[in-house]
Amino acid sequence: MKLRNILISLGLFICASTLPARAETLVTDLSQHVIEITSQFSGSELLLFGALERHAMESVQSDEIAVQGLDYDIIVVVQSDPTNLMIRKKQRVAGIWINNENQMVRGVPGYYVVGSTRPLNDFLSKADQIELGLGLENLKIVNENDEEIGEFKEALIRNMKARGLYKEGSGNVTVKDEILFRANLEFPSNTPVGDYKADVYLVRDGNIIINHSTDLLVDKRGIERVIYNFAHEYPPYYGIMAVFVALSVGLFSGFVAKKIS
Amino acid sequence: MQIYLPIAELSMNIFVLLAMGGGVGFLSGMFGVGGGFLMTPLLIFAGVPPAIAVATEANQITAASVSGAVAHWRRGGVDFKMGSVLIGGGIVGTYFGAMIFTYLREIGQVDLMISMAYVVFLGSIGGLMFVESVRSILKARRGEVSKSVRRQRTWIDALPFKMRFRKSKMYISVIMPIAIGGLVGVLAAIMGVGGGFIMVPAMIYLLHMPTNVVIGTSLFQITFVTAAATYLHSINTQTVDVVLAVILLTAAVIGAQIGAVVGAKLKGEQLRILLAGMVLLVCAKMAFDLVVEPAELFTISAIGVEGH
Repeated sequence: MKLRNILISLGLFICASTLPARAETLVTDLSQHVIEITSQFSGSELLLFGALERHAMESVQSDEIAVQGLDYDIIVVVQSDPTNLMIRKKQRVAGIWINNENQMVRGVPGYYVVGSTRPLNDFLSKADQIELGLGLENLKIVNENDEEIGEFKEALIRNMKARGLYKEGSGNVTVKDEILFRANLEFPSNTPVGDYKADVYLVRDGNIIINHSTDLLVDKRGIERVIYNFAHEYPPYYGIMAVFVALSVGLFSGFVAKKIS
Repeated sequence: MQIYLPIAELSMNIFVLLAMGGGVGFLSGMFGVGGGFLMTPLLIFAGVPPAIAVATEANQITAASVSGAVAHWRRGGVDFKMGSVLIGGGIVGTYFGAMIFTYLREIGQVDLMISMAYVVFLGSIGGLMFVESVRSILKARRGEVSKSVRRQRTWIDALPFKMRFRKSKMYISVIMPIAIGGLVGVLAAIMGVGGGFIMVPAMIYLLHMPTNVVIGTSLFQITFVTAAATYLHSINTQTVDVVLAVILLTAAVIGAQIGAVVGAKLKGEQLRILLAGMVLLVCAKMAFDLVVEPAELFTISAIGVEGH
């Protein structure tokens, strides 16, 4: 599987080199464009890979060659479509812990993973990080009134990290021979369904020179999808079906149990 | 082997689920109880969101009680008229229970309500059962024979709207059965229990129904009321996970058969003490989780893009 992916990326690289000459060319792809949540789904792994070609070396005779290989960095961001989340805080009231404060946040991703070749601060300005929402601390997480929510934001990030839905790290994008790069992405079993976007940024001298985006879909498949859609689109019929299933399974198992004993 | 539960939206080990269903089925077969009051807390302890645990258990109990109801009906152990009155009250209760459940879910307090309801009901029922069985064991040791006390006239006999129940050989007001049915309906909707542990004692001690129709009639009522709870939860909150219910049910049926065989070998008083102990244990765990500072004070829940 892995060898196959590498061969694919090599193939892509060869394709890429036939493209008209520009400063740099970036080609990226995912090992899968759809993650299917079936009844056996217990998480999934995906490979984001690509190739980088720098015509700069040949076309522009400059002192850039002297630092070739050191001046390129890659950032990979995979996130789900924005959603609304409720953050609740428990407080002790009359001896018991109850949800006592809450903040609603709009337009935050339910899944967010960022990876890079080196720590972001080493090669990209803070302003750029904030503008593009790169890195967990730079995600725009505010409440309905556009106010900063302090400990609620920290709590959201902490909880989502614990669930494996938010992740950040440097060094998890690896580059081979200064041409091929790859990043392994993990999707835990509680991955939310929906449309995802995988962005790859190529950074040189602190500037983002190429941004390449690929779509990814996470969707329930098979019986899981049928049951979920049925429950949410036709609740009354789902209710009747659930009762009917329970009655028939109950009667049948009672009948079988009686035969056996 | 993991199985993905489509409504709960989480992946669980199928063998853990089967063991839980089988274990609770075993206990319910042994003690002759529904098992909802053990299964729902177990699901919550295992990480299933409380709202889904409750609604799914209502669904499972429908299945668990229907075959018992049919078996009792064949033996003539169901008072259909009394059952219908109890169902009438039960469906009204379930309707209100489901409304409360939906409202509390929206304001983020449904988990608290479920825990508190469990602590209150398990604590009081378990405590009563424990005291009662210890007392009767002590009595038996002293060689006393409990005399059947002649039924006394109480305030219940003074209530209006009397109705004749031929099967139970009773002429009583319908207010009390409707109230009992209603309470059980509320509990079915908010706790995911059949409510037999409330209804059976109430039928015996409050209504003075003959014991040979008590179990059958209560199973008859539970089948309908939990079906109504399943239906209402499906409509209001989409929290019924059929896949989870069927897995638990399959194991519970087998467990119940084995449990019934084991239970027949134990003495009634010992069984009751054991059951009381378990009820109190679950209650204590629930209470503990409410009182002790949680490791994580914050919870995150999705509220969907189209919802307010």
